[in-house]
Amino acid sequence: MRAYELMKETFFRKMYIYIAHLIWFAVYGLFLTLEPEEDSFYWIFFVWGGFFLPLTLSAGIFGDDMSSGRICVLATRPFWLGELYIYRLLGLSIQGALHFVLAGGLLLIIHRFTGVGNIDDLGAWLFSCWLLFNTWAAVSTSLSVVVKRAYNFVFLLAAFLFLGLLNSMLSWNNPDDTMTKVINAFVKYVCPPFDMLTKMAKGEYAKYSLIVGKYSAIKAVACVTHTFVLTVFYGILGVLVLSRRQFTCSQE
Amino acid sequence: MIRNDNKQTTVVECEQLTKVYRKLCASRSKDVCALQRISLSVAEGQIVGLIGPNGAGKSTLLNLMAGLIFPTEGRVSVCGHPARSIKARSGLGYMPEHPAFLGRYSAWATLRYHGALLGLSRQGISVQIDKLTEQLQMDEYIDRPCSDFSQGMKQRLALAIALMNDPRFLLLDEPSNGLDPIGIIQLRDLLKKLRDKGTSIVISSHRLGELEKLTNDYIFLYRGQVVSFGDKIAAGHLGRLRVELVSNGNQIAKKLLPPAILLSASETELVIAVGEDDEVPDIVSSLAKGGARITSVLLQREDIEDVFLRLYKERN
Repeated sequence: MRAYELMKETFFRKMYIYIAHLIWFAVYGLFLTLEPEEDSFYWIFFVWGGFFLPLTLSAGIFGDDMSSGRICVLATRPFWLGELYIYRLLGLSIQGALHFVLAGGLLLIIHRFTGVGNIDDLGAWLFSCWLLFNTWAAVSTSLSVVVKRAYNFVFLLAAFLFLGLLNSMLSWNNPDDTMTKVINAFVKYVCPPFDMLTKMAKGEYAKYSLIVGKYSAIKAVACVTHTFVLTVFYGILGVLVLSRRQFTCSQE
Repeated sequence: MIRNDNKQTTVVECEQLTKVYRKLCASRSKDVCALQRISLSVAEGQIVGLIGPNGAGKSTLLNLMAGLIFPTEGRVSVCGHPARSIKARSGLGYMPEHPAFLGRYSAWATLRYHGALLGLSRQGISVQIDKLTEQLQMDEYIDRPCSDFSQGMKQRLALAIALMNDPRFLLLDEPSNGLDPIGIIQLRDLLKKLRDKGTSIVISSHRLGELEKLTNDYIFLYRGQVVSFGDKIAAGHLGRLRVELVSNGNQIAKKLLPPAILLSASETELVIAVGEDDEVPDIVSSLAKGGARITSVLLQREDIEDVFLRLYKERN
């Protein structure tokens, strides 16, 4: 019951959750009409759905409770506070899965009737989007434990852009520098794995062993495991902070 | 220091509780000491009123008891377990000053949500919701979304949430905020019933008149410290007997009255501290026998509001 209620809450806590999903579907549709045959369509799908959507859905998932004082009642309930985090994150993950299944279904229908769009590799792209969604949802949810709703999205977006730009600049100017390698490794292995999941979805790992269709099964398992470990790592950070956090009941 | 010296089971115990708020990256000089070495205990079935001016540390004390914040020094135990532990929280009901709910949830869905968080079964949740809806008279709006609620409705729902687990220890922060007079009376009756069943209740409130109808046990906080009440107020017990005389007031007072109970004396008026009402005839008769020519006698009792004001003025 507790798990069900906490997961359900992520769907119903705010009206904007529904509006966000509708806007995202509309934007997919817009991209579909603009660049129906291009590979970039999936890339936009990946960034828009896998990166921006979890930030939007999880913004204020704890921050709202803290600013309204609702957390003070939740934190006096007799269960491990980590459950509050874990089930909310699971709720977001289910929401993401439903979103991508629905988006994929709509794409298939549109493609079936109009012939618009490229549905090759659709399943792999949707799966990659969902993996990326989970990782960013964990990052954003953990951040929500310590910052207000207004900063949640902005902070992550700024950090993402800053690291991406820094990494690109250093790789361009000093590719053999130690600092470049360290930052490159950090972006590659510690940050949510954009590059890795994109390559997996595109089938660029086909050169590796155990090929299934255009994908390497071993590399796919490695990518999924890496993403899962990162999601759990960010989740553990959030749980630790939540368990040690102090709550005050003043309304902001 | 307020101590519960009777033999009843202690439900809440605070020992040498200190809370200092430190700002991140700020010097120690900017620390705010919200509570200083507070020790107190609350017995089973006791209602304690937590009073004090704004900024006295009432909310900090409530938050510490609820396990929402950690003490800088000292310890708090609730039902024999450290505050914030799951065992302590299983016996706790908490009602914040400004209750907040998910606006899209109805009162019924909100109660079901909290029942689920408490680990109650489906049937247990239904039974509790039915009971509380009836007790708090929420039938009319139980299916309405919380975003439509008035302050009074929110208060009732927050109280219902706090009572969902039949707590042994109830923490209420301004529970009568926004309640109409009928609601206040119902709340008072409900709290008395809970007390009679053995629930310990700590109420933080600025409505001193309301508190007075519920309890004689108060914790007066001032600048993070408990001002000892036992000997100074015992609200409702300390009385001032004002005796007017024709003359020789000073002389009679010195001869007949112990200095401990003589609050003030002049030629024509004596003010004497009185405990129980039945002390008055004895005092008056001893004064008359001692030669005092009494013209009038007036017994005045301090209510909690007077006490609050007196203590506040004494410390300013």
